[in-house]
Amino acid sequence: MQSKIIEIKNKAIEEISEVKTKEEIFDLEKKYLGRNSEFNQILKNLKNLSEEEKKEIGKSANLAKKEIEDNLKKYERIISESNFDFQSEKIDITIPGKRKKRGHLNILSQVRNEIEDIFTGMGFEVADGPEVETEHYNFDALNIPKDHPARDEWDTFWIKPEEKLDHMLLRTHTSPVQIRYMEKNEPPFRIISPGKCFRREATDSTHEHTFYQFEALVVGEDVSVANFKYIGEQFFSKFFNKDIKVRLRPSFFPFVEPGFEFDISCLMCSGKGCRACKNNGWLELGGAGMVNQNVFVASGYPRNKYQGFAWGFGLERLAMMKYKISDIRLFHSGDLRFIKQF
Amino acid sequence: MQYSYNWLKELSETNKTVGQMADLIMMHSFEVESIEEKGKGLENVVVGKILEIKKHPNADKLQLTKIDIGNKKLDIVCGAWNIKVDDKVPVALVGAKLQNGIVIKEAEIRGIKSFGMLCAEDELGLGKSHEGILILGKDAEIGEKLTKALDLDDAILEIKVLPDRSHDALCHIGIAREISALDGKKIDYYKKIKLNRKKTDKLSIKIQDQYLCPRYIGAVMTDIKIEESPTWMKSRLNSLGINPINNIVDATNYVMLELGQPLHAFDFDQIKDDERVNIFVRRAIENEKITLLDGSVKELFDEDLLITNKDRALAVAGVMGGENSGINENTTKIVIESANFNSTSIRKTRMRLKVKTEASDRFEKEIDPNVAEIAMARIIEIVESYGGKIEGVVDVYSKPVEKWKIKLDLAYVGKLLGEEIPEKTIINILESLQLKTKKKGRMLEIEIPTFRIDLKTQEDIIEEIGRIYGYEKINSTVPFYPVQPAKMDEERQFEKTIRDYLVGAGFSEVYNYSFYGKNDAEMAGLSQKHLELENPINPEQALMRVSLVPGILNNIKENLKNFKEIEIFEIGRIYIPKDGSLPEEKNMLVGAIVSDESKKGNNFYEAKGYVDLIFNKLGIEDHYFDEFKNSEEKIPLIWHKTRFAEIEIEGSEELIGYVGEMSPIVLERFRIKKRVAIFEIDMEILRKVSEGEREFKPLRKFPTSMRDISMTAEPEVRVEDILDIIQGSGMKLIIDVDLFDIFDLPEEKTSFAFHIIFGADDRTLKNQEVDEIMKKITENLEKDLKVEIRK
Repeated sequence: MQSKIIEIKNKAIEEISEVKTKEEIFDLEKKYLGRNSEFNQILKNLKNLSEEEKKEIGKSANLAKKEIEDNLKKYERIISESNFDFQSEKIDITIPGKRKKRGHLNILSQVRNEIEDIFTGMGFEVADGPEVETEHYNFDALNIPKDHPARDEWDTFWIKPEEKLDHMLLRTHTSPVQIRYMEKNEPPFRIISPGKCFRREATDSTHEHTFYQFEALVVGEDVSVANFKYIGEQFFSKFFNKDIKVRLRPSFFPFVEPGFEFDISCLMCSGKGCRACKNNGWLELGGAGMVNQNVFVASGYPRNKYQGFAWGFGLERLAMMKYKISDIRLFHSGDLRFIKQF
Repeated sequence: MQYSYNWLKELSETNKTVGQMADLIMMHSFEVESIEEKGKGLENVVVGKILEIKKHPNADKLQLTKIDIGNKKLDIVCGAWNIKVDDKVPVALVGAKLQNGIVIKEAEIRGIKSFGMLCAEDELGLGKSHEGILILGKDAEIGEKLTKALDLDDAILEIKVLPDRSHDALCHIGIAREISALDGKKIDYYKKIKLNRKKTDKLSIKIQDQYLCPRYIGAVMTDIKIEESPTWMKSRLNSLGINPINNIVDATNYVMLELGQPLHAFDFDQIKDDERVNIFVRRAIENEKITLLDGSVKELFDEDLLITNKDRALAVAGVMGGENSGINENTTKIVIESANFNSTSIRKTRMRLKVKTEASDRFEKEIDPNVAEIAMARIIEIVESYGGKIEGVVDVYSKPVEKWKIKLDLAYVGKLLGEEIPEKTIINILESLQLKTKKKGRMLEIEIPTFRIDLKTQEDIIEEIGRIYGYEKINSTVPFYPVQPAKMDEERQFEKTIRDYLVGAGFSEVYNYSFYGKNDAEMAGLSQKHLELENPINPEQALMRVSLVPGILNNIKENLKNFKEIEIFEIGRIYIPKDGSLPEEKNMLVGAIVSDESKKGNNFYEAKGYVDLIFNKLGIEDHYFDEFKNSEEKIPLIWHKTRFAEIEIEGSEELIGYVGEMSPIVLERFRIKKRVAIFEIDMEILRKVSEGEREFKPLRKFPTSMRDISMTAEPEVRVEDILDIIQGSGMKLIIDVDLFDIFDLPEEKTSFAFHIIFGADDRTLKNQEVDEIMKKITENLEKDLKVEIRK
């Protein structure tokens, strides 16, 4: 009897594994588990057996039945899944995806964020000041006295004066922020002051009367030119994501002494000379120097107690170099065809 | 300024090539902006003398010439007629490749052989003239290279000397001093030059104001013959951008280029009183007039300094000479002026008179009064070489400038540069710059020659040491400073957050100028006071903005050419004038939307939705939109009077901003054909109200249920009224009400449909409970707002 049950079960499972249609499943179910199936016959005949046998055979018959049922379910699922008609749902996957609205942070903001992140990562604090300034903060306190030819270097927008008022101007650099910060803070400190600046000059593809400047100022008791070189190299290497060397050349800005022009090694050829750097291996980037003691004095520090460096460069120029933008006027054009590229 | 390589080389006795020289100057002294090599394409052009001229047998317009070029005689066919026998002319030899691309070959012209070409100015690249063959000076040597004859074997360096070194380096000797210092040579350029102090009674000088004129040297010279300068001097001046005039004027210019001291020459006979010249250096009398050399008449103030004789003004000191006082072709006797004037005064005068000359350029940079003497000695030497004789010299110099001393702490050099430079190197560098040093313990006492007006402090000296030593030799060094976390700038962080939210919501960021024109202000109805620029680039950029809106509207106008729908924003400052102080600079946010207009007021609702989005992201939940508090006439013109709301916060007096459509009238003025909605928010106020920290709210434990209600309402019913009634009828069991459908019906009625979400914190609501509330809502709406509920 036992062997009969196993035989039926194995035969059933074998037949089930060969089914192709739902109808066949239905037929097999009827054949093996239906009222007239051999199994049913066996179960019906159980009553003729001893209690012992009844228990044993009944148990194995039920297990076999369960196994057949599970197999039927399994193959029914396999058949129904394999019969899903994907072809009838075919679509053209070359039709463009649905256009999603996407906003664009202005490239100036992006570059500004990058720069600020690098500096704050080096422990710099961000400082700010007004865009409309007094002559005092923009010039006098920076060691650029009235009637001095050095003032010609900064083409200045002046505000139409009102009676009894100091002559106001649009700041020509972010350097006034240095003075405003130093008036309220004691060294050691390191700050950056990013912001909008203005120079009254005709605009063309490389000149713009409105631009963003970044200025770094580090003051302590023994901050040196060598330290400046280090910070400069660190910053540019991070910003351009490659090893950058800094080169200093003598220059003059009244608020520093010594003063430098600083160049970085060419991004394309790393200093060997190529077309991008007109074969000299270096790119001119901005001005820098050791803070003039007169500036410390104007900010309320004693002469020769502190030393430090100041360093300024244009945001647009960096953005133009990094993203190969050819016309500086695009930044303030508001043209979405430009803005949406970044 | 332009500098001649040959001249610099001559003075400094360097053996550097022009390239080496430029690199050296660039890295240690000044920026070299360009190098122009003269005489390119003139390699095979020599000086020839015309021996004979004959007619061409076969061509009327051509001549046959025989030219002596020293080692041989050439037959050359020529088409120009300005030549005569004995003229010296440039001859391009066979094989020459001229700048314009012409290659000279042996040729047969109308049957006659020609072995070269006589050249006009333009063919040589020396000028534009094609009037005829360039006739050279008589002193040109036959057979010598044209580049040599015209001193074209030279390179011109454009060097940018900045104000700190304009005292001493706007001249060839100044740059030569740099070169010899860099070569490690010690040359005293002034040593050979000594002023002859012969007395004379033909000249008297009186200085009224010693402050404005610290020194005035005059020299009388006789036996002057006005003629052209020698070729070498003319070409040197020419190549440095100065037109040669005559031997005397050229000499003054030459000495200025060499030594940096502007000189002036007067005609003795034109300016003398009786038989003697009386020079007065005095302030102008208020409204005194002078006619300058260029013919312009200038009215003067008492701050302007004049050079006069007894009865008339001869020159504006240090700026320009007056008419009827200068050199002319009949001059035989001259007075040369070598003087020193106060830099600030010269600067003010030349700015007021709007005259800028080589002389004023130098005087306004402040020059060493001791150089006046050197320059005088030098020009006398040159004029004597032309046959002039010195009659005598008068020098008024009451407070001679002496050398000064700077004490340098040697340890400070290394501390400031961050590089230890050996003491011996330091001393060598300073001595090569003609600074005398004396060691005193840890200090170095340095004597500064008077021409180095820029050297005043220890740092000035350290700069000299650093740059000559070479900044490239300074190794970058990690700075040591105390560890302190960078302070966060809250305003900036906040700005960044808002930017990110808006970009995430699909807005693009624009940057606009801080100014706009009166026209923009008028169109936008911004009639309030603006800060005005005194010197705008153009009238369209004359006012400092008091609103970001005009800029944004212009952006929209331009971008509508390329885009149908626009979402842009700007965060930037506006400038509110304040009496007696700097303006208030407010950081503002303006967002603008141009979108689908098929539904009434859609732009407005879009804008309002974005405001909600920003506020919700900031965790602000108690903001609301309200009608303008003032009377309708006071609504700024720029806004659409009936599609405009104030943004406020529950329990706060402060107005955060506005949201609304732009007035169609204003849009029309800006020539914008579409509707535009804008939100304008004060960033500082927004930051303050968003400062409260967010708190976690526990998630709901019991399910909610949703019912819909729709109704038809009369035009005066506002959604806010409906919402108030729904909420008020809900016995705190309404979690949210959401308007999901709205459309216009005939007779100005509107249909609204809302989802209402019900829920309780402590149990699952039964259907029956919700039904009861819905019933109440319906009753209240019908009763209070007379709406028709669709059932």
